[in-house]
Amino acid sequence: MHWSASGMLRPSTVGEAVEMLSAARAAGLEAALLGGGTDLVPALRAGQRQVQTIIGLRRVLELRVRGAGADRLTIGAGVTYTDLVGWSLSPGLARAARVVGSAQIRNTGTVGGALGSARPASDLLTFLTAADAEVLTVSPRGPRRQPLARFLAARPEPDALVTAVRLARPGGPATYLKIGGRQAAYPAEVSCAVVVDRVRHTLACAVGGIGRQPVRMVEAEAYAQAAVDWATGTVSSAAAARFADLVTEATQALTPTLPVGPHGSARYRIHAAGVLAGRAFARCLNPAIARPALAATLLPAAPHSDFLRPDTFGPDTPHADPATPHVDGTGPQGAR
Amino acid sequence: MRRPDGPAKVHGRFRYVGDLQVPGMLHARTLRSPHPRARIRHLDTAAARRVPGVAVLVTAADVPGLATYGLIVADQPVFGGVRGEVRYAGEPVAAVAAVDARAARHALAAIEVDYEPLPPVTDPRRALAADTPTLHPNGNLFREIDIRHGEDGVHGPVVVEDDYAIGMQDQAFLAPEAAVAIPAADGGIDLLVATQWLHSDREQIAACLALPEQLVRLTLAGVGGAFGGREDITVQIHAALLARAAGAPVRIAYDRVESFLGHPHRHPARMRLRHTATHDGELVSVTARVLLDGGAYASSSPAVLANAITHAAGPYRVPHARLHGLVVRTNNPPCGAMRGFGVPQVTIGHEAQMDRLADALGLDPVGLRVRNALQPGDVLPTGQVLGGPLPARELITLVAARPLPPPAKHDPTGLSLPGGLPAMAEPSRVRRGIGYALAYKNLLFSEGVDDASTARVRLALAADGTPHAQVHSACAEVGQGFVTIAAQIARTELGIDQIELLPADTAVASAGSTSASRQTWMSGGAVRGACAAVVDRLLARVARAAGLPGPVVETARRSLTITGGQIVGAEVGLRMSVADALAMGPVEAEYTFHHRRTTALGAAGQGDPHVAFAAAAHRAVVDVDLDLGLVRVVSMALAQDCGTVLNPLALRGQVEGGTAQGLGLAVMEELVTDAGRVVNPTFHDYLIPTAADVPDLDFVAVTEPQPDAPYGVKGVGEAPTCTATPAIIAAIRAAVGRDLRRVPVRPHHLVGPPDADPPDADAASGGPFGEGPS
Repeated sequence: MHWSASGMLRPSTVGEAVEMLSAARAAGLEAALLGGGTDLVPALRAGQRQVQTIIGLRRVLELRVRGAGADRLTIGAGVTYTDLVGWSLSPGLARAARVVGSAQIRNTGTVGGALGSARPASDLLTFLTAADAEVLTVSPRGPRRQPLARFLAARPEPDALVTAVRLARPGGPATYLKIGGRQAAYPAEVSCAVVVDRVRHTLACAVGGIGRQPVRMVEAEAYAQAAVDWATGTVSSAAAARFADLVTEATQALTPTLPVGPHGSARYRIHAAGVLAGRAFARCLNPAIARPALAATLLPAAPHSDFLRPDTFGPDTPHADPATPHVDGTGPQGAR
Repeated sequence: MRRPDGPAKVHGRFRYVGDLQVPGMLHARTLRSPHPRARIRHLDTAAARRVPGVAVLVTAADVPGLATYGLIVADQPVFGGVRGEVRYAGEPVAAVAAVDARAARHALAAIEVDYEPLPPVTDPRRALAADTPTLHPNGNLFREIDIRHGEDGVHGPVVVEDDYAIGMQDQAFLAPEAAVAIPAADGGIDLLVATQWLHSDREQIAACLALPEQLVRLTLAGVGGAFGGREDITVQIHAALLARAAGAPVRIAYDRVESFLGHPHRHPARMRLRHTATHDGELVSVTARVLLDGGAYASSSPAVLANAITHAAGPYRVPHARLHGLVVRTNNPPCGAMRGFGVPQVTIGHEAQMDRLADALGLDPVGLRVRNALQPGDVLPTGQVLGGPLPARELITLVAARPLPPPAKHDPTGLSLPGGLPAMAEPSRVRRGIGYALAYKNLLFSEGVDDASTARVRLALAADGTPHAQVHSACAEVGQGFVTIAAQIARTELGIDQIELLPADTAVASAGSTSASRQTWMSGGAVRGACAAVVDRLLARVARAAGLPGPVVETARRSLTITGGQIVGAEVGLRMSVADALAMGPVEAEYTFHHRRTTALGAAGQGDPHVAFAAAAHRAVVDVDLDLGLVRVVSMALAQDCGTVLNPLALRGQVEGGTAQGLGLAVMEELVTDAGRVVNPTFHDYLIPTAADVPDLDFVAVTEPQPDAPYGVKGVGEAPTCTATPAIIAAIRAAVGRDLRRVPVRPHHLVGPPDADPPDADAASGGPFGEGPS
């Protein structure tokens, strides 16, 4: 293929990848990190991106690890959506991964790719925003950990490699709902993630597709925290309606907003955000509206679930045990 | 009988024209205007020609022959902007061939074009206004047709009137445009192209290249869908110009974005319809005004308008009608042929009107259609007397009697609810609706055109001594099924098994266009005629050789028959194998099939314009999420007037595909323009139905033979596209109780304030038709 005339580098460690990225920059070369390639390859083929160096991350096994500590889940940047779909440790994340694109995209697209492309209405990023995820990067200045929202709001560091995302182990139900132009394989027009923590008595809600990045619904969250009967983890039907209204109000006030899509309507988008938020809220908390545990149980076990090994990572060190990485040797490549 | 190319397509091994490789070939790319209307002050190609790897670059200055081309009127420049204006965003202004596509793209970027942008005319309602600039020497009106039928001013007491608007659908075929052009030693050019009509391409290419037609030779290469979008020239002339300039083979190809810009689309339509009826539901009059936006160039707009306006009252008996249609030029993307060819747009309108008339009368929508449905012998608004079978009544009755799908089942995953798994809809907020549509669609070319088809058949002995027939037709196989039909016909007529369909090319006379539901009838008729002529010659030869009397030789078919590879004449005591008969030499014949003659539309739009019609009726069942306005089509039932069925599997493919394409127009497919520029030319933003969106089709074929067609066939690909869309719209209307005058229907039309999306913002421009002629 014509674009492969560019130099292709294949690091095998994070350190090598970061060095190659710096070296390319020092040489004045435009470099791209290649994971699953679902965004990069079409951009190269269409001539929208022109690069001299491609750093392929498939061989960087440390990026393809995911695991769980006592409190946290850590997901390597090279983990694919399909890997996540079968992950019982985070049903909410599994649900968000399941509704990304088509099966082909899920098989090849990666967590790192979602962060690197940072598409405003990204399914994964909307869920991770509600889940208070952190982004781990490595650059010549060393490793860095920052909240997802800050990572997305900041200008990308051109010499940094996203190595993993980290989020708290789920403490309650979570779900992710999105709508778009058809029944399947569609980009989100509007989406909403709700993550409930029954241990810490918190509820988080993020809306995707309206702001320039997924946005937390702070007032609605505060209302929910007070409205939920934390002893039972339930709310009234009226509370779901109020929650929806608060999300509608918040999205209405949101600036700046994404341009409305070719078929869309700004008013509709705000209306839909409220509906989705009310439904997501009810599904997590109101068994009278949504069947119990609906959000968490709809995913069948995926073939990859057998490489789920908790405690691969220590509580604070993302790559604590490089000697025994759990690698999906057959899975496709991570993207950034 | 299965398609020979099916497995290769399913397994990804089929070679589409864009996959072809020729030794030493160059790769070509096209530079397009970003402006919908502009003058080119200056075009500087010097820097582009110096880009490493560039072989040749061509612009308007390099066109040796006619500077323009077109299917009906040659009004489209090979390259825009130099002698006049660039008239749409996406119009080619130059093409480059280089050693690889990357170098070609670099060269495009190095072409300096100094555009003087001009204010574009993008509202078709303004196209004919006095203060609107004339966009082309041919003017801004492609065609106007005004049909007057019955008496003026006679109307019924029950009146339903409204405006409707339909967006621009794209054919969205699988394989983007591509061609390979190879310069020949004799000064001519050979082209491998994916097209719908080889000979029309040839005529236009030869005129622009200033070559005699016989020096322009085309062979059909792997086509990945067409649906009307390959009727017009796109890459062909550019490839030929580049190959001749370079003296080397050139492969030109579009990417997906260019494909969306490169071929004409389905005409966006605006219409005002007024239906009147008696209190007991007898239609009295239909008044229609239809405005089609033809975009920048004529393409097939004049013929599309004729189809749209002659079908505007639908398959119903209407004593009095005034059907007035216009198709105008704007600076929007050119529009032309797409499956249904003007009929889907008006069907959306007349079927909405029939439902609303049923509402106004308190009648059942099926009953109202049954009551008014056309029958053979009825007079159409053009004055044409409806011939041939048209079981419209039977179709709508049949489809209404199909079993309904079970009620929505409780589905916690949301998979079977509107929005699918990602939306996980709330079942209690989902409401079901049922809708019907009936339509008819003309078959073959209309208005006096003699769109004949020629085929050649040669029967000879193969190397192994068995009889073997070669069928040669220029019929473009674009998925419609001629590959199986031609072989089936030859096998039937010749009574032998070994049939070879030669590549479609211009070495044989024209087969006409693969469009207008015409190839099984027309080229099937040609193959049948050629086979029959071969049989006649062979039998005559056998009769002569057997020493049978002269009268028997002259009408050998009366005494002799071919079956199972044997020639048998029981009465004359003759039996000979076809192989033995062919030992005396091969037999060959050519046959040209003509359909019955029609006439042009005369004064008041009167005439006998259409060869024949096929009807279809759909019933759609939809579920709508009442809070989100998401629609899922739950079930589609189709009863269709198919004539004699030659290949049941191919028929199924056509009606399922037609249904899916109609579904796309109903709820998702629209190319959106902003000041003339297409804003969604990708499959990310132009969504087409997936397997999750299209339900299984409950299909009933009604098979009354068409008397003047070979074997009684009818074309089947277009009629279901016409009815699928309005049936779905009707079902949504039934579920949500809104009028729905804008198609495709979007979620915000269903949940916003009721007037959230009127068909047009008419107030600003003085009604739905602006300031055009009245």
